[in-house]
Amino acid sequence: MTVQASRSARRGAAIAFLSPAMAVIVLFVAVPIALTFWISLHDWSMYTPLSQMTWRGLGNYTDLLHSDDFLNALGNTLVYVVLVLVTTVPLALALGMLLYFPKAAGKAVARAALFSTYVIPTVAIAIVWGALYAPDYGPISQALGAVGIDSPAWLSDPQTALLSLVIFHVWQMTGYYTILVIAGLTQIPDDVYEAARIDGAGFWRQTFSVTLPLLRRTTTFIVLIAAINAIQVFDPVYILTQGGPAESTTVLSYAIQRAAFQNGMAGQASAMAFSLLLVLVAVAGVVLAAMRRRTAAEGRS
Amino acid sequence: MRTVGAISLGAVLALALAGCGGSGDSGAAGGPQTISFLTHWGPEQVTALKAAAAAFHTKNPDVTVDIRAVPFANLLSTLRTQGASPNGPTIAGIYDLWLPELVRDGLAAPAPSGVAADVKAGWPANMADGVTKQGQVRGYPNEVDLYALNYNKKLFAEAGIPAPPKTWDELTADAAKLTKRDGGKVTQQGFGVITSWASGAVHPWLSLVNSNGGQLLDGSTPKLDDPKVVAAAQLYADLVKSGATQPSMSSANANTTGPYLDNFVNGKTGMIIMANWWQSALKQAMGDRYSDVGVAPVPVGPEGTGSAGVSYSWLTMVNGKASPSKQDAAWKFLQFLNGPESGKGGSSAMGDILMSMGILPSRTSDLTAHKAELSDPFIAAYVAELPNAKPFPTVLGGEAMSQAVQKHIENVVFGKETAQQAMTAAQSEVAGILAKAGA
Repeated sequence: MTVQASRSARRGAAIAFLSPAMAVIVLFVAVPIALTFWISLHDWSMYTPLSQMTWRGLGNYTDLLHSDDFLNALGNTLVYVVLVLVTTVPLALALGMLLYFPKAAGKAVARAALFSTYVIPTVAIAIVWGALYAPDYGPISQALGAVGIDSPAWLSDPQTALLSLVIFHVWQMTGYYTILVIAGLTQIPDDVYEAARIDGAGFWRQTFSVTLPLLRRTTTFIVLIAAINAIQVFDPVYILTQGGPAESTTVLSYAIQRAAFQNGMAGQASAMAFSLLLVLVAVAGVVLAAMRRRTAAEGRS
Repeated sequence: MRTVGAISLGAVLALALAGCGGSGDSGAAGGPQTISFLTHWGPEQVTALKAAAAAFHTKNPDVTVDIRAVPFANLLSTLRTQGASPNGPTIAGIYDLWLPELVRDGLAAPAPSGVAADVKAGWPANMADGVTKQGQVRGYPNEVDLYALNYNKKLFAEAGIPAPPKTWDELTADAAKLTKRDGGKVTQQGFGVITSWASGAVHPWLSLVNSNGGQLLDGSTPKLDDPKVVAAAQLYADLVKSGATQPSMSSANANTTGPYLDNFVNGKTGMIIMANWWQSALKQAMGDRYSDVGVAPVPVGPEGTGSAGVSYSWLTMVNGKASPSKQDAAWKFLQFLNGPESGKGGSSAMGDILMSMGILPSRTSDLTAHKAELSDPFIAAYVAELPNAKPFPTVLGGEAMSQAVQKHIENVVFGKETAQQAMTAAQSEVAGILAKAGA
């Protein structure tokens, strides 16, 4: 067999082996993304075939730029993401270290309990949280009232509704991120801590000079996943607030659903969805680029 | 690079081949037909509907009716995602606000002449008009809902108020008397409003607008900056400012329950404007205290001449994308379901199902057949207001319009906008929405 024939055979084998995987990726990733972009260039109610969509060009995108509702949803989403990240990530790191380092009984039970909030379907638990958040007569308000604290109206007040949803998100997701932190901690060799202790490092020095630096890859992953999960938040908004009161909890995913399925503006909804995709790609790009730059800088030093 | 290109092409071809398998209509013309009925009703009503479908099948063995039930919140999205497909629902129960869009896109089929004649003969003219679009009847009118003032008779007695308010001035005065405070905190509000739910926010407010001589639309032109409309928003602002309306007691959730309902059933709200369909929710939540609930016409504003609560209706339509044979079978079934022979005592089966939920049927003979049940004081008060009710305008872009109005009403309730600012902004937004929708 000639070298040319050998290369051809290898190329054929590559095509044969990779085609099924590529078909899946094209079917479930590339086609929906391309279709979403194509729909975003049209007006479409979803009641008619795709072939009967009305061409709008970039009209849906320019409409978004001038839409107070879209900008409000974008702003709410950003606030939600920032609040989730600044709360969840430090909390998960702290809980992860707390559940990994001390030699205490019941750690497995504590881990399971923390993780269980992630396993329970959001729909079911959101209903429970709706009852907990009831103003005045709800358990949380009653408990605060019992100790003399004037409870906020939680989901019933535009000032606190988004924050209430953040608290729910943190409660639900922190356990999952904590488990990821613990998994990351298991990858740090004991030798490193032993060396640090010999050099006289105490608990805080070990945390900031050993644990956190060596957890960077895990932390980056958690930040990325937490940001994406927060950007995509939908269920609690849909179930508990319907974007209200006074649009205070209208986030992008809810605005997309409302535009497409309630208002029959699938073109505009697709423009929002595609914009959201671009935001997600940008966020992921920034996080990963920062990580690479840091790693490269450390490599040089 | 060529390898990647070849792989991608192979994948696309595989996909294209996989996607080429179309699904045709299983029912051949003239042969046995299986049609489907999409509804948002609960299990009890679905059982009754299945019984009606079985009775129809006995008389028409060639037609089988499958019932598909989805939650209310998913009804419209199910229609959007399945309506145009070959196996989509043949019949659907829909909110009349959705009809213009369904007609525009060919999903709401025009009724055959026999059905159109049946609708015109058997229903009040305004109901028949409500299901007529582009000059053709598009379905059978079913339930009709309207808004009236609900009040707690026990709280009224405690406050020394002998009768429900007839005017806005009386409403304001009574709301103040009904409001209780514990220190600086309001523990009982005089007049409740609803937020975080488009219909719940807009319909009661619009009932006050109508009762002040205002209107939401004149044809397809918004009238939100009319002083008669602004006055209703100002009424809300004044009630909130006085403490007689508590925004924190107003929110609803996706199930159209939540604090607004809890506060009324627990005697923390003196008055609220709501539709007749919530009777079953009140009965279930209040138990014996349900007897405290009174119903009265919506109070009349200073510029109004009479009470005019908002009304809206539901109808059953046939999918215009279904095959002609299926459409024929569907109209035949609907004629049976809405006809006086399918139910009990001269009522249609549809009338019986609606009454089982405490909902007003709209067929004239159904109202006669259920006269005894309709004499229940709660329902009777709504029936009495039916002739005065003003239908919510059904136009293209109606859902988006409702949401825009809801946003600005809530902005008034939560003090983010003055009444004038809110209505000026709503006027502009609604005009844009309707123009874009082609209303």
